[in-house]
Amino acid sequence: MQPVVHIVDDDTSFLTAVGRLVAASGFRVALYESGDKILAALPNVEPGCILLDLQLPGLSGLELQQHLAQKAPLLPIIYLTGQGDIKASVMAMKAGAEDFLEKPVAGKTLLAAIERALHQYEKRQVEQDRIHKLQVRVASLTPREAQVFDLIVRGKLNKQIAYVLGTSERTVKAHRHCVMEKLGVHSLAEAVLIAEKMGRIDPESNPLHHK
Amino acid sequence: MVRDWKVRSSRFAQNSFAFCCLCLVIFMAAPAVSMEIVGRVPRILILYPYDERIAATTAAGEGVRTRLLEATEGKIDIFSEFLDLSRFPETTHKEKMAHFLTDKYAERRPDVVVALGEESASFIVTNRNSIAPGARILVTGFSSGTARDMRLPSDVVGVFNEYDITKTFELARGLQPQARHLFIIGGSADFDRSWLATARAELADLAKNYETTYLEDLTIDEFVERAAHFPPDSIVLVLTIFKDHAGRNFIPREAIKQISATASAPFYGPYPTYIDYGIVGGNMVTFEALGIAVANLALDAVAGRPIANVDAPQTYIADARQLKRWGLSESDLPPGTVQWFMQRTLWEQHWLAILATLAVIVAQGAVIAGLLVERRRRRAAELESRGRLLELVHLNQSATAGALTASIAHELYQPLGAIRSNAEAAELLLQGDAPDLKLIKQILVDIKDDDQRAGDIIARLRGLLKKRKEIDWKEFDLNEVISSAIQILGPEAKRRNIVISSRATEELRVRADRVHIQQVILNLATNAMDAMLDVAPTDRRLVFQSRLTKESKVELSITDTGCGIPGEKLVGIFDAFYTTKPSGTGLGLPIAQMIVETYAGKIWADNSPDGGAVFRFDLPLARNG
Repeated sequence: MQPVVHIVDDDTSFLTAVGRLVAASGFRVALYESGDKILAALPNVEPGCILLDLQLPGLSGLELQQHLAQKAPLLPIIYLTGQGDIKASVMAMKAGAEDFLEKPVAGKTLLAAIERALHQYEKRQVEQDRIHKLQVRVASLTPREAQVFDLIVRGKLNKQIAYVLGTSERTVKAHRHCVMEKLGVHSLAEAVLIAEKMGRIDPESNPLHHK
Repeated sequence: MVRDWKVRSSRFAQNSFAFCCLCLVIFMAAPAVSMEIVGRVPRILILYPYDERIAATTAAGEGVRTRLLEATEGKIDIFSEFLDLSRFPETTHKEKMAHFLTDKYAERRPDVVVALGEESASFIVTNRNSIAPGARILVTGFSSGTARDMRLPSDVVGVFNEYDITKTFELARGLQPQARHLFIIGGSADFDRSWLATARAELADLAKNYETTYLEDLTIDEFVERAAHFPPDSIVLVLTIFKDHAGRNFIPREAIKQISATASAPFYGPYPTYIDYGIVGGNMVTFEALGIAVANLALDAVAGRPIANVDAPQTYIADARQLKRWGLSESDLPPGTVQWFMQRTLWEQHWLAILATLAVIVAQGAVIAGLLVERRRRRAAELESRGRLLELVHLNQSATAGALTASIAHELYQPLGAIRSNAEAAELLLQGDAPDLKLIKQILVDIKDDDQRAGDIIARLRGLLKKRKEIDWKEFDLNEVISSAIQILGPEAKRRNIVISSRATEELRVRADRVHIQQVILNLATNAMDAMLDVAPTDRRLVFQSRLTKESKVELSITDTGCGIPGEKLVGIFDAFYTTKPSGTGLGLPIAQMIVETYAGKIWADNSPDGGAVFRFDLPLARNG
């Protein structure tokens, strides 16, 4: 499925023209005359990127960005703005804007930015897919295996784990094997990486003290 | 044929000694007569020598009558008899008249008889014993010389008129100091000749300095002819013309009127009756004065007081119209001259009123002149101040443009960006195998529209910066200027999340400089927009409302949803350099005020009941639009 470039600008004429340019460059486009319109279309908007006018009447560009971050976090935002609005630009970048373009923008620049944004979208998509897969794997662990997993990634030895869990070192070994198997990792380092991504290594919470 | 009243000069008398004796006799005789009137009002008989149409005797008689009635408050019987002796000079007529009067007054004997003129005097002196026995006889209308010739009885007392031709001549000399010629005119009757003789004698000395000509023994036509060719520097003295050389009889003044009508030099004469008949004037005894004098004698006689001969008062009399005719100056007249027929000028009649009016006019003129000078100064000052105002407004325009530049530039990028994207899109489309020509056509149409848009924005910016050297008076709809101002403010308002709305009713025509009125609106609106900085972005609203007031003024109100104006600041808000903003110059509102006042409007501020401020201004409605 080809990604869609969502364009939001209150100036119909400008909106139409940019839409034509982007479409002529081979992208699918969706046009919105205000921030409210694109929000109404969420969360079922097609994947791609968003081209957003910073100065929108009503819901401003920055406000819209906050809504989008919640409802469509994967869609990269490219801002189009008039010159000299540094304060707004900084705020937009901090809030996670993908790119910032000054009006009038050259077609090439705009298209390059769109390409980058879409690429970014793909990367985000892939990353998200990967995390999703890992989550599925982690979820497949039995509660005992999960306990063992949490202790392994904190660098505990089998003996220590057995002591903590009140079981034999052999049993721990068997669980450890199952964990490595289910997560599809071959080394402790890989397991630690996954645990970190899943947010399981929280210095605040030490599972050893809870149990 | 009626003759004038005959008179003679005192100088006619050759023998002054005899005259003195006579006077002495009269003086001694007069007090001897006394009178007793008991139980009735006094009776006075006035004898007129001719008929009632003779002006001289009639005037004298009227003088007597008026004076007597006035002095006695009407308690007097006055009888008049017209003897008509000139037309009936026969002795038989006189005798019949005497008989008639004797019979007539038999029961009412007069106490005093006033005889006017020589003929009357002779008549009564002859018939006094039959007509008015015991009455006092008073005479007048001739000179004392004549009286002496007539040998009047010693108890007859008179008022004598002395005709002095030299005095008349003096008057003429005074009026015509440059005169070199003297003409003396007299007729061919006996009386005329005797008058001429008297004049010759009296004027002998004075006439030496003049080229003197006595015109006598001429016919009336010859007189007229000669008079028409007198040199301009001539004095003409007329005596009497009862008869001309051809033997025609005249009333002297009628003859004189005829001669003087076409004369080339002014005439002078000794008789008041000549006045209005062509003479400038002379030294005269008025007949009225004679009448009054003789009436006074009569009153004294009736009252039993002693009486004696008197000379009638003489006066210089001049005809104002003749003075004017000959261009003679009033100021050259002898002192005390009475002017007759003075057509008093407006000035003479109403000098006080005229003087007062003139004074008012002069005062008014001075005030007007002062005001005009003041007005010029004021106008110059106004021009200068207007020039300064225009400069100031232009500075203000530049400042506004500066403040709005970023927004306007952004506004400009919209169509420019659209044009660019459209062009690039078209380019890409044309590179394809089967270009969508319909779309490309639409793209071109849109490019044209956006170009127009960009052009309009630039035009507005230029309009904002337009500099005025003179006020460009135009009549326009205020609503058009409001929408143009809103367009200029639009991008900035959008940037600040301010929603602008405008409510207009009908067309509101005003007469002013469009650019200036736009500047007023921009100043008020930017002020309002600045006031909303601290308000939540969703609550920033700016409302323009125009309307026609009951007083036929065009009013615009600009309402914001800002913080409003603190009560104590409402008064001074239009003062220069008053500002609440750190970036404000404090000149926006005062300039707005100056502009509005230049166009005869007023501007004021208020707080709206919903919070926020309302700025309003009004302008006179353009009537004939």
